[in-house]
Amino acid sequence: MLNPIMAFSATRRMRSFKTMLIVIVYVAALLILAIAFLSPFFNDVVYLSTMTRGPLCYLALLAGQFGLLILIAPAMTSASVAGERERQTLDLLLVTNTGSFRIVIGKVMESFAMLALLILCGLPVMSLCLLTGGVSLLHILIGELFLLAEAFACVSIGVFCSSVSRSTVFSGVISYLVILAIGVVTALPFLSGYPQRITDVVYDRAKYAALTAGEARAMISPLLYLNPGFGLMALIQGELHFFSSYAELKGWGRILCTWLMADRAGWIFIALACAAGMLVISAILLGLASLMIRKGTKTIKSN
Amino acid sequence: MLKIENLKKNYGSFPALKGLNLEIPDGALHGFVGPNGAGKTTTMRILATLMKPTSGTAFVDGTDVVKEGHKARKLVGYMPDFFGVYDSLKCWEYLDFYARCYRIGAAERKRMIRQLLELVQLEEKENEYVDALSRGMKQRLCLARSLIHDPKLLILDEPASGMDPRARAEMKGILRTLREMGKTVLISSHILPELAEMCDSLTILDHGQLVFSGNVDELSDKMNGNAPLDIRLTEGCGGEQVETAVRCLKEMPAVIEITQEEPFLLRIRLENGADVCEDVLRQLIMKGVPVCDFHRAPMNLEKVFMEVTQGA
Repeated sequence: MLNPIMAFSATRRMRSFKTMLIVIVYVAALLILAIAFLSPFFNDVVYLSTMTRGPLCYLALLAGQFGLLILIAPAMTSASVAGERERQTLDLLLVTNTGSFRIVIGKVMESFAMLALLILCGLPVMSLCLLTGGVSLLHILIGELFLLAEAFACVSIGVFCSSVSRSTVFSGVISYLVILAIGVVTALPFLSGYPQRITDVVYDRAKYAALTAGEARAMISPLLYLNPGFGLMALIQGELHFFSSYAELKGWGRILCTWLMADRAGWIFIALACAAGMLVISAILLGLASLMIRKGTKTIKSN
Repeated sequence: MLKIENLKKNYGSFPALKGLNLEIPDGALHGFVGPNGAGKTTTMRILATLMKPTSGTAFVDGTDVVKEGHKARKLVGYMPDFFGVYDSLKCWEYLDFYARCYRIGAAERKRMIRQLLELVQLEEKENEYVDALSRGMKQRLCLARSLIHDPKLLILDEPASGMDPRARAEMKGILRTLREMGKTVLISSHILPELAEMCDSLTILDHGQLVFSGNVDELSDKMNGNAPLDIRLTEGCGGEQVETAVRCLKEMPAVIEITQEEPFLLRIRLENGADVCEDVLRQLIMKGVPVCDFHRAPMNLEKVFMEVTQGA
């Protein structure tokens, strides 16, 4: 049987005019971005330099959606459990035969379904990049998968924070802080911890050229696979190949050595590994949320 | 149907329940009365598996609500003292949602929703939005929700609070129907007369302790033993006769309080347990006091409640 919480919340959400408005605004924002990048193609004469606009448009759309999802997901999920608490309907759910985990999953799936709808509505806009060349269908599909994983992770964080919060506002605030904290903590190896063994390889053009994908993967800190930004970076590199050797890093600093290592490790692998990493974080948070949901239910009124 | 054994619950260092023991038979309409903070809601939340007790346990139809929560939830219907309704949902959708949460199949859901809306007299409101219902209607809809999985025990926490007299009367009618259907109902209130009208038996809680459990008549009998005595003298008998009566009563050690309610009506209070009514009457007649009426003053349930809960 379909999760009743999900079906019920989706029914209520879809009845709201606000939902349609969100979809329209989201797609319109992507369309404006796409037109801004692709407008040179509307001219009578298209220069060779214009040809890079297609991949750039793809990256802008990808990064734009990546940012929008981080902004939208906590706002959307902050009321998922805390709102039930405020409305005093959580007790009514907890006395049914729907277990805590099923309630949490229902809440996650309901919000995720909405974000997935947004991502899928953005797909036709993303596909415009295919018309201009320079972007493959594989890129678009992997990008979509990555965004879906990111949406699921953001929703899971939001539902977790909502499960431990008493108010919707508080839940929203801590969701943004948790996302920021996860982003910063998992990016530490990238921002500061680039070990000597990585720079040694990257600085030496011969060593770097001889590096296999497996060796490169082994050198990347596992913590980075939990960072969605690292996955996005891999998708960008996979599309544009910004850097292929240390010589090209001039002016960017040693911080991007890991970027090169990721390039050698394979962008599809990195993007998918990061997506998997986000799902791991989600699974842990959802497990915790299902434990917290009952603990957070205390006597609203002591007789 | 319900057996509570030495149930204790502490909120930090504050004991909300101090070892409650209670048994309610099948099909009973049992009232749970107590002043605010007596432990009624705490007990009900434990029975509804929303809260774990500090110690002790409770069994619903033989199922331990503490250890077998999932099983117990099928047996218990819980209606808290707040509505807990969602906006932008129609009445049938509201019930359908909870029926799905209890994993009831589509055909059964449809049948139950129709039956329950009929039971709570909301069949005409089936397609109306919940937020458009009156307070009484919402309360009845919530009652229907708590019955959606056909529970054996129904726990209603102050279901009539905030209702107008008509809505209360309708609620009472529904509760009587539920009793006829064989449901065991545990219903709480802090208003004893309200419960006494509809319940077969009562439990009075105060400060987390049971102070009385039995049927309403037993409670009245128990309390009537402490009711004051009204002594009416023949009208126009004169002030001297009243003074004689007062003097005579003052001489009796069992009489602890004498008040003159009306010119020819004296009300006396006897020591707890003193069975001296006959002596009092005999003495008055021997002194020549013209007694024309002699009876225990009726104790209303409000007074009974105050008496019972004052000493706990």
